[in-house]
Amino acid sequence: MSTLRLRGAPPERIDLLNVTPLALRGLSESEAGKLAVGTSRRGVSLGDLFEIHLDGSDTLVIEGGSDRLDRVGAALSEGTIRIEGDVGQRLGEGMAGGTLTVTGSAGPFAATGATGGTITIEGDAGDHAGGAVYAAKAGLDGATLVIKGRAGDHLGDRMRRGLILAGSAGAQTASRMIAGTIVVSGAIGDHPGYGMRRGTLIAGGHGALLPTFVETGTPDLVFVRLLAQTLKRLGAAQAGLLGGTLRRYSGDLATLGKGEMFVPA
Amino acid sequence: MAAWVKGGAADVDAAVAAAADLLAAARVPVLTGLNADVAGLRAAYRLAETLGASLDPVAGKSVYAELGALSAGGAMTTTRAETSARADVVLVLGNRPWDGDLIGEIAAAPIRRGRATGSERALLSLGGPQNGAIRHVAYGADEGGLAVSLGHLRAFAKGHLAGEAAFADLARRLFAAQYGVVIYDAEELGEIGVEMLQGLIRDLNETTRFFALPLADPFQGRAAVQLSAWTTGQAPRVGFGRHLPEHDPWRFDSTRQIEAGEADAALWLAALPAPRPDWLGTLPTVAIVGEGSTEAAGETAEVVITVGVPGETVGGALWNQRRGVIAYAEATAPAEGQTAADVLARIRDRLIEKGVSC
Repeated sequence: MSTLRLRGAPPERIDLLNVTPLALRGLSESEAGKLAVGTSRRGVSLGDLFEIHLDGSDTLVIEGGSDRLDRVGAALSEGTIRIEGDVGQRLGEGMAGGTLTVTGSAGPFAATGATGGTITIEGDAGDHAGGAVYAAKAGLDGATLVIKGRAGDHLGDRMRRGLILAGSAGAQTASRMIAGTIVVSGAIGDHPGYGMRRGTLIAGGHGALLPTFVETGTPDLVFVRLLAQTLKRLGAAQAGLLGGTLRRYSGDLATLGKGEMFVPA
Repeated sequence: MAAWVKGGAADVDAAVAAAADLLAAARVPVLTGLNADVAGLRAAYRLAETLGASLDPVAGKSVYAELGALSAGGAMTTTRAETSARADVVLVLGNRPWDGDLIGEIAAAPIRRGRATGSERALLSLGGPQNGAIRHVAYGADEGGLAVSLGHLRAFAKGHLAGEAAFADLARRLFAAQYGVVIYDAEELGEIGVEMLQGLIRDLNETTRFFALPLADPFQGRAAVQLSAWTTGQAPRVGFGRHLPEHDPWRFDSTRQIEAGEADAALWLAALPAPRPDWLGTLPTVAIVGEGSTEAAGETAEVVITVGVPGETVGGALWNQRRGVIAYAEATAPAEGQTAADVLARIRDRLIEKGVSC
């Protein structure tokens, strides 16, 4: 298990795009220490910020976190990264595989564009978790994102495929959603599903609903039971939400209208 | 032209030197405001490149509400002149379009070009201030605001909702247009609302002609968008910390950078009047402000330098809302003095002399 131990608070935003187990495997500790990870005019290297211990394994632990650590685990394709603390924006951006765990909270745009693997945030997530960044066609794109605490606004904005689980979420959850599944065990904020085209949103409660979502009854769907089994395998608290009767809403009728939202009846 | 350093009057050379020293000492300097003519904006981007700073216009919120939707799905837009000459149906969204003379001018102009020539123009509003001075048909907004209302209207326009609701009537009126135009302010709608509006306009264009006429922000944001695009290939929130222009609307949001304690020095460029930022006084700042403005005083910042006001005391290329282009504006009351571009170039030269280079 390789480790990076944070020496202190970073003096500037740090870009850890190129710091993955695979990228570090071919480097000596001295070489890894020279990797440029700063973003300011002065810049800093990995060795300036972290005590580095590398053993060539496919597991990397970052001891100590900061909301200035951006793009942690971005483009991860294999192996495991565990961050003991907080991270900044774009956690796991474009990640294709592997396992990424944050014991603290994450900044905005977590898991944006992630196509595979599992990202777990044990604390809260900022706005646009699983959402698209500026000019991107899609947010989460096939990966699994688990947020044990609260997600901010626009959870799953323009999400295209994959699964998001969260404890609760802010306003406009599933905005502009293209496809995929979001399950929130607690409440979500106002106007979920704004511009939603397809996909499934399941929530324990909600704020103001859009006038463009219409109730379509309380169907007993095989899909919900299959989803509950999948969630149980993930050990997710959200599975309990699927045991009872669910009321279904269809929308967003302002767009394609093939999205659906379920809440307990 | 006046200058102050740490509250005391100074000559411009001393102020330029102090500004260069202040910026050179910073790890993460930000250039904000950016309310100036094109030459001033160009000098600001050159200074940022030399310094390794990031830039963020005061119009950022408005600019990105428009650009976010544009980058996602494009836009069908028209001009003020085309609207006046051709539009037989004009829908005004929200409050801000009513502030200036635009709506009154359109209401008074006859339709003199295109398929609707000679017909009477229908002026409609959604969520407006119920202005009684100009005759129009007003529709109230939903409780959720303009963006929600636009989604509601679009559902009726697509035929996904039906009935005798007010939005059903409004949708019928829009489809009946021969040349329709929607006037709105992007910041008032928000990015998600602009995207919904452009979707509605695409739907309307299945059977008729319909376009958007977005208002420009009042702080040269559109000029900054064009200049940043031809200079860096990116939208305005760009940083040069890593020797190349990086675009990131979240990371280079100057208000966020300053609140988070990331930025440790700022240059505020307001050759034209701009809202005084809340953070002024919380970090070392160089203020380059227009002569005669309320901020032209020693207590505004550590270093304050006054410059000519484009279109008033000096000429300059500015965004022209009426024409929808960057156009040269002559000085209406010419006066001696340096331009913002001159001062920014002198600060940059001083930094280069000091060996500061990103």
